[in-house]
Amino acid sequence: MSRSVWKGPFVDAYVLKKAEASRESGRNEVIKIWSRRSTILPQFVGLTFGVYNGHKHIPVNVSEDMIGQKFGEYSPTRTYYGHAADKKAKRK
Amino acid sequence: MTTDKVLLGAIAGSFGVQGDVRLKSFCADPETIADYAPLETKDGRVFAQIVLTGRTKNALTARIDGITTKEEADALKGAELFAPRDRLPPAEDDEYYYSDLIGLSVFDTGGELIGTVRSVQNHGASDLLEVRLPDEPATVLLPFTKATIPTVDLETGRLVADPPDGLL
Repeated sequence: MSRSVWKGPFVDAYVLKKAEASRESGRNEVIKIWSRRSTILPQFVGLTFGVYNGHKHIPVNVSEDMIGQKFGEYSPTRTYYGHAADKKAKRK
Repeated sequence: MTTDKVLLGAIAGSFGVQGDVRLKSFCADPETIADYAPLETKDGRVFAQIVLTGRTKNALTARIDGITTKEEADALKGAELFAPRDRLPPAEDDEYYYSDLIGLSVFDTGGELIGTVRSVQNHGASDLLEVRLPDEPATVLLPFTKATIPTVDLETGRLVADPPDGLL
């Protein structure tokens, strides 16, 4: 069963505080968070979060299409490298 | 830093009794492995043509020229398939092959060495460069963005990074 709409999206309060402080300071910094369960909100777009995966903080640049997902989805807890083959990385 | 050959797949074993093989493709689009033929193995054996015949649970099935019996296909189990790097199509602007980025040296804006690229990862947000620090087993992840990696110079094998505060 999905979460009731009247409650609004769940976000740990400290994540909101840190994001707001970072946006106000205007500094280019990684916001370290441990809250993988928090929902990505529109005001997080453009910020870089370091999302803990139980081992280290994985940098996550928040973009518009990530709104509504949870931070944990972008910080896998298991190591899988795969092969480079013909895969390409785009510098955005 | 461009390596001569790129690993594109491996033969996982035989499929059926008519000499077909199970083919593990490491390509971004698995079925494009056939387009890179001729592929060669580590010991120099060349397969000029690969025809994909279907899919199994974790692999493709294929018919390789010169392999007509199950025994021949069984003998190829574990063989890795390589193609020359120059057979990959040219990348677009600000697009780089993982294989070109791996091994490059990463310097900060002051010219000091940060480390070397060990792997490129993508967990859904943006591409990340895993950089191994010098004289340490530890690695750091740098977002592959214009802000964080302003300069990519494949000719000299150098990346210039301007990592955000708190990342290193």
